[in-house]
Amino acid sequence: MKIDGVTIEDTFAEAFTMRVARLIITGRNAKWAREAAVKLTGFATSVIGCKCEAAIERELAPEETPDGHPGVSVLFLTMDKESLSEQLIVRIGQTVLTCPTTACFDGLPEAPDRLAVGKALRVFGDGFQASKVIGGKRYWRLPVMEGEFLVEETFGMQKGVGGGNFLILAEDADAALAAAEAAVLAMTNFRGVILPFPGGVVRSGSKVGSRRYKNMIATTNDAFDPTLRAVTTSQVPAGVNSVLEIVLDGTDAPAIEAAMRGGIRAACRPGIVAITAGNYGGKLGPHHFYLRKILA
Amino acid sequence: MSDPVVLTLATAPTHLLVADCIAADRFALLGAGDIGQLPVTHGGRRALLGDFFTVTGERSATVRITGDVTKVEGIGAGMADGELVVDGSVGSDLGRGMAGGRIDVHGSAGDNPGGALPGAARGMTGGEIIIRGDAGAQAGAAARRGLIVVTGNAGPQAGRGMIAGTVVVFGRAAAGAGRFLKRGSIVALGAIDRPATFRYACTYRPPHLPLLLRYLRARYALAIGEPQITGRYARYSGDLAELGKGEILHWVAE
Repeated sequence: MKIDGVTIEDTFAEAFTMRVARLIITGRNAKWAREAAVKLTGFATSVIGCKCEAAIERELAPEETPDGHPGVSVLFLTMDKESLSEQLIVRIGQTVLTCPTTACFDGLPEAPDRLAVGKALRVFGDGFQASKVIGGKRYWRLPVMEGEFLVEETFGMQKGVGGGNFLILAEDADAALAAAEAAVLAMTNFRGVILPFPGGVVRSGSKVGSRRYKNMIATTNDAFDPTLRAVTTSQVPAGVNSVLEIVLDGTDAPAIEAAMRGGIRAACRPGIVAITAGNYGGKLGPHHFYLRKILA
Repeated sequence: MSDPVVLTLATAPTHLLVADCIAADRFALLGAGDIGQLPVTHGGRRALLGDFFTVTGERSATVRITGDVTKVEGIGAGMADGELVVDGSVGSDLGRGMAGGRIDVHGSAGDNPGGALPGAARGMTGGEIIIRGDAGAQAGAAARRGLIVVTGNAGPQAGRGMIAGTVVVFGRAAAGAGRFLKRGSIVALGAIDRPATFRYACTYRPPHLPLLLRYLRARYALAIGEPQITGRYARYSGDLAELGKGEILHWVAE
């Protein structure tokens, strides 16, 4: 299969089941909502090193948020329920609670699994905190020097998908970056999808384990490193001198598929040789995104 | 789904009619005949609900009351779920000790809405009461949880001895509002006669109020303007003669 002269490899992206929460962060204006969200989702590229994966899903207009302020929605993923709760408590406590004018609400109100995040954070109020039930939901009001921080008592959690991906194989680094940027732009504001890496792009794709260092969980994906073409079992096609990866996490497989479809099409541009995807032979992750099927 | 239960006042009570059997969650389990057989007290004498009201619909947690029920006490007392709408004004003890559900009165209410039985430690422990008119004395007295909204004026001692919960008064809150408040909030959009045992804290924008007021506007179509939703409120802590963790939030018109 070719799109605009770019070969779409006959392969699939292999992704994993994770646990996901959606946070709605609001602020007096979009700037402060974004400030909190950027800090909250900092150092959250991969569960391998960060213990969570998170990013801004999209910006929200005032009429889309519970308190009528501008906001952002954030998706937050971990491998299990316990670590999701732990990460949310620590990160909201350090980044949203501390950020002027912000409030934090649950973005998965229908999810039956609930994480008592606000309930845990309430003790920052040192006994001066107060709760209010509004429309059947409990909120905690924490007194802070600015005024009050408002946080919902519980946040919904559901199964999500982590590790959707595709690789952009380019003639040179400039073409790879331009294609990656186009793909990221095309996938921006897709509901239910985040791109957790810097600018949505990964330059250091990894393989499981190590050839040399037994304690390493992940090491460089030498099969796709152009500089190692001559010294490893390379999968880099002739004419390819740079590879970038896009990693996608989301609330469900259809959302990932839709975003991949848009992203891959946008990445098919001059200077790109092929699009492929990372997998482990289908043995590790239950979600398989076949590139040609998605793009058919 | 069953049709809503509609109680239509057919025989106007000549004395005080205590009808604390009227609760939406109870009616959800009863046929029309059974509802008519529920006990009431009229002028201190036993009677039946059906002696005064005609009942249409059955086995529904959605209840509507029509007719002049200003002499009817205890409507919605102890209600735990469901929705009760009254087309007009009601007597005292509306939603007394209720635990859940919604009561929406399209008129005024007598004394002690959402309050407690005499001698009881707690008033309402949950649910919402909307009074689209004035309320008598002690609205929400000793409430443990829940929400009472009075779109008109509130009589003396609204929220007296509240343990928690929220009373919102659009009009004037008369003397003694919040007296002996332990926790809980009185949100005053109009004038309020504040006890001396409340102390000014600050003027700010409580972040939960936009949520609450927007909810009331959306859920009950109450006329609440943006100035109240986005505005600043003076916070008074009290009652300092009690636990002191309660508050009066008084809208600052700008």
